[in-house]
Amino acid sequence: MTESLIWWSIAIYLLIAIGIAIMSRQGPSESMSGYFLGNRQMNGFVSALSYSATTYSAFMMVGLAGLTYAGGVGALGFEIIYFAGVSLVAVFGPKFWAVGKKFGFVTPSEMLGHRYNSKHVAMAVSIASCIFLIPYSAVQLAGVGYLLQGITDGAITFTTGVVLATVIAIFFSYIAGIRSVMWTDSLQAIMMIVASTLVAFLVIQGLGGFGALFDTLATEHPQSLTVPGPGLFSFVTFLGLTIPWFFFSISNPQVSQRLFMPSSLRSMRHMLIGFLVFGFIYTMVSVLWGFSALAAFPSLERADLATPTLLASEFVPPVLGVIVMIGIMAAAVSTIDSIMLTLASMVSRDVYANVKPNVSEKRQLLVGKFVVPVIALMALAFAELQLDLIAVLSVAASSGLVAMVPALIGAFYWKRGTGVGALISVVGTSVFVLLMYATGNSLLGLPAGVWGIVVASVLFVGVSLATKPHQATTDAFFAAISEELSKKRSTTTDQATKEATA
Amino acid sequence: MKRSKWIWLVWAVVLLSYLVPYTLLSGVALWYGSFLFWMLAGLAIIALNVFITKDFEEHSND
Repeated sequence: MTESLIWWSIAIYLLIAIGIAIMSRQGPSESMSGYFLGNRQMNGFVSALSYSATTYSAFMMVGLAGLTYAGGVGALGFEIIYFAGVSLVAVFGPKFWAVGKKFGFVTPSEMLGHRYNSKHVAMAVSIASCIFLIPYSAVQLAGVGYLLQGITDGAITFTTGVVLATVIAIFFSYIAGIRSVMWTDSLQAIMMIVASTLVAFLVIQGLGGFGALFDTLATEHPQSLTVPGPGLFSFVTFLGLTIPWFFFSISNPQVSQRLFMPSSLRSMRHMLIGFLVFGFIYTMVSVLWGFSALAAFPSLERADLATPTLLASEFVPPVLGVIVMIGIMAAAVSTIDSIMLTLASMVSRDVYANVKPNVSEKRQLLVGKFVVPVIALMALAFAELQLDLIAVLSVAASSGLVAMVPALIGAFYWKRGTGVGALISVVGTSVFVLLMYATGNSLLGLPAGVWGIVVASVLFVGVSLATKPHQATTDAFFAAISEELSKKRSTTTDQATKEATA
Repeated sequence: MKRSKWIWLVWAVVLLSYLVPYTLLSGVALWYGSFLFWMLAGLAIIALNVFITKDFEEHSND
């Protein structure tokens, strides 16, 4: 694959994506919910594709294939547990959606601040999200860097790839906020699923078929088909990786904010099911890529090179390889731009507007737009540090975000939860996780991924029991949920009555 | 049983996804070991979610 083929493909991709981004505009949006939530009018199909593209990104195709290469089938188990965790959307989604509609929330942190009647909770959740998600964005950028470098044999450098992705991400979020992000996400999700499945098919054919691939693995790398396997996935490590990812769909604001956006619960359902089908195919494909690379190129220098090596191999026709490569780059971009938008909305809505009261929507939006590139540049700086093993680093982000989980669950299920409890749980757990990572990530033999949820729960419950909840906001919050969601029951009853009389 | 209660079946699949590969299947170094198990677990999750969220279709939009 030549360097000029790669640059031409990037140019064509950009042309199409920019076209779609521009077409997605719907007049100037001057409100926060217009810019950051698409006016809560997103349909199920675009939401599903965009949710998939935001979640699955460079981590998936580069990181998960690399993780499979290094650790075997445990990588699939890790991803399936994350995948099962997305079922939390079926439980929490309608509740998020209902209160979002009722109270006009733009960010999940705003929702928590309101529920616990504490600006400090909203601010703490926003700041903690920035602390953990900026490195996570950096991981995506680094993914692009490794990919372009690996696939072009160094002709396009790591830094060029990283800078390119940053610039594109800023650009996509500026055109029309979340609308342009979601539409460009959809484009790349479709391209990606088709091209990557085709690659998996071709590579497996090239290796003699599914049976031959697994025969090779069973004879030459038998440990790759079991856990703990080659050693990466000891049970404790597996727990540490999977627990934070299990809660990803509610702990990560760039995806939980999506729960405010669907135009109806029906659209939300389509988003969830569409995502699950997409995610399942994508997961299987990524794992099969990792296995194929292990069978064909067992002695790579770094596991993260599994995907680029495979794409540059003789199994994949150059044009298809380039399409997938662009797709992976676009995937990283689609994750970063969503994160940038979410963090920007949190900083302006929950930090700026809380520190400086009575700021207009317009002013909040302006600040939000200013914060977007600032976040991007910080991620860029992190990516340049070139830290090892992409997957493990992005899990550090998830371990930290688990800090929000007990406060979130409590918001919907535990009236006794208090603002002080939520605040101390979020701040305490974030500090705890950071300390864990700074000191080797092991306490009594367990990693931060396991401890995080325990510490956050103990702090939330303990401090809540010792303090008093704000009764009025709690009651209003719960009343809003049952009011909004009971519309379902009356409709169902109506229908049942109609059917009975018919 | 209320439809939403079926979510517990999802959590049961999660629990099995931890237990089975690390015990029963830890010695089965073949495609129909942990690979197949987790793949089927994934499919079960999709089916359960389709079932659990069926009521979402009936919610009025305004």
